[in-house]
Amino acid sequence: MPHSKAITRALLLIAISLYTAFSAGPFAWTAMLSFRTTSEISKAPYAWPETFRWQKYVEAWTGSNYDTYFVNSMVITVLAVLVTTVVGAMAAHCLARYRFRGNRLIYFIIFSTIIFPPQITIIALFQTLVDYGLYNSRVGLILVYVSVQLPLTVFLLEGFFARLPQDLFDAARMDGYSDAEIFWKITVPIGMPAIVTTVILNTVHIWNEFLYAVVLISDESKRTLPLGIQKFMGDQLEDIGMIATGMMIAVIPIVIVYAIFSEKLIQGMTAGAVK
Amino acid sequence: MAVVKLNGLSKRYAATAAPAVDNADLTIEDGEFMVFLGPSGCGKSTTLRMIAGLESITGGELTIDGARMNEVPAKDRDIAMVFQSYALYPHMTVFENLAFGLRRRGFDKAEIEQRVTKAAATLGLSEYLDRKPHALSGGQRQRVALGRAIVRNPKVFLLDEPLSNLDAALRVSTRAELIRQHRQLGTTMIYVTHDQIEAMTMGTRICIMNGGRIVQVGKPLEVYENPADTFVARFLGSPGMNLVPSTVIRSGGGYAVKFGGTDLVIPMPDITDDDVILGIRPEDISEDASEGSVSFQGNVDTVEPLGADTLLLFRVAEHDAVLTARVDRSFQAFPGQSVTLHINSPGIRLFDSRTKAALMRTEPEDA
Ligand SMILES: Nc1ncnc2c1ncn2[C@@H]1O[C@H](COP(=O)(O)OP(=O)(O)OP(=O)(O)O)[C@@H](O)[C@H]1O
Ligand SMILES: [Mg+2]
Repeated sequence: MPHSKAITRALLLIAISLYTAFSAGPFAWTAMLSFRTTSEISKAPYAWPETFRWQKYVEAWTGSNYDTYFVNSMVITVLAVLVTTVVGAMAAHCLARYRFRGNRLIYFIIFSTIIFPPQITIIALFQTLVDYGLYNSRVGLILVYVSVQLPLTVFLLEGFFARLPQDLFDAARMDGYSDAEIFWKITVPIGMPAIVTTVILNTVHIWNEFLYAVVLISDESKRTLPLGIQKFMGDQLEDIGMIATGMMIAVIPIVIVYAIFSEKLIQGMTAGAVK
Repeated sequence: MAVVKLNGLSKRYAATAAPAVDNADLTIEDGEFMVFLGPSGCGKSTTLRMIAGLESITGGELTIDGARMNEVPAKDRDIAMVFQSYALYPHMTVFENLAFGLRRRGFDKAEIEQRVTKAAATLGLSEYLDRKPHALSGGQRQRVALGRAIVRNPKVFLLDEPLSNLDAALRVSTRAELIRQHRQLGTTMIYVTHDQIEAMTMGTRICIMNGGRIVQVGKPLEVYENPADTFVARFLGSPGMNLVPSTVIRSGGGYAVKFGGTDLVIPMPDITDDDVILGIRPEDISEDASEGSVSFQGNVDTVEPLGADTLLLFRVAEHDAVLTARVDRSFQAFPGQSVTLHINSPGIRLFDSRTKAALMRTEPEDA
């Protein structure tokens, strides 16, 4: 049946192409807009850039505090992801490896916090941060991000770690290693595909996060990129071209992170094959 | 130099559950190759893991060379273990797998290098040192697992069914390799298996377990010839010992037991109970008469030629179970045929019908 096979293949290709256009199209369009001026755009919204106006990137960066936002985003994301990963992996390791009273109860409580939408907790969170003097501080925002991202991280890693054979850990104990050393020398390297997966998910999420940032930060000098883009919209509502440039600057680091780690990410998603 | 001693060692996984290991008493001498043998779930692995320090001890005491070990963590017991699943670290090369335990114990680089190279050479692993475990065959992985224990030169080796994932041919050669290693190293080894051929061929002594209890300990052949109870009698040997309920007849000063319409006269100590269980190994029943043998009539049920010899399944009068005899491979018979068979009377064993314990044993062995 070579004929029907070809048809199936063609249908599949069409479906995939449509999906790709749907998801990548807006991104490509914004990328094009970022090289054009607003007047060029209003004449022909979908046209290919006649001249690539790289200097728009320089303008956006220098003219609108982007350097500050970018550094803030970078510092907050890196630190929050680092803490989330280390604490989350340790918690997942404990929940997956040790039999103790209340193990499943703790697991359930951690996991159940996933279902609350951020809007529900934000007022209480705001008040708590004010009480502890952490309102309008980058440390406060990092702590919030860590606690928000932790449940999903623990959930994903616990699922992966629990499938590692217990004998590996027993063998390491017989080889003389302490519990902490076993975590670093066995769980972490073997669980790397899963850990990388959570690193990417958390990085993307925190980098793009808007709601907590807008509520918990008020100083211009402490704002992150998503707030910066918003400010753009408020100040220069007409300037579509500049907004596109600002968005591209915000998105590029994520694309780079993803490109570097995507292979590991796929490994992590198809994981469980540790024999 | 290491004597491992179990004093009433017990393990309960949950306070309410039946103990997985129940009051085990055993002394494993220095340099001995002790085999734990028993059916699945009888507590062999649990006992081994308590000795290793991987499982907490909930009752009794464990000592190594006289020192109490109950509270000593696994890493300080100087014991190496080979796991059934091999448990090789998947992210390390063979070299790193072998060196992992030495690194932690602070050996310098040259010493590690030298020990690993030596162990790899004895086990034929030299050319695989740079490979990761996933790129090795089952037999090679097994040797790496063994090597990981050997390089550490521990006081005691523990092996939990290390051959059960190998194919038959490899199992035979690895068995020989293990015996050779034990002879060379002279280290105390404790070996868990449910394969009786491994137990018989490898063990200096074997320790038979059932339902969490140690049933019998002794040299393989002694245990085979003088099983402590009907469980051991059935469990050892394939097929196991024939067991037939019978009655004792007192005639004058002697005793006899009824079997298949004949009276078997046996020398034996005082018997208080008249109901006994008669045990006869299949190889003690033959188609040829020999000196001192007693003959009886059997009714052929099935003939199973195994090649080297033949199993004859038959019935006797007044008993409804099928019994087994190991006869010469030239033996031929058809189902339903009546044949005369002969029992080699020194092979007859008696068991108490109530306690199932052996009544008469030529060389009593203390468990
Ligand atoms: N972690 C555990 N929690 C509760 N019960 C357990 C646990 N591990 C083992 N057991 C029970 O303890 C008993 C002995 O188990 P063990 O693993 O020692 O058997 P074994 O003799 O090694 O059997 P096998 O030959 O199948 O490996 C079994 O009844 C088992 O169900
Ligand atoms: Mg076992």
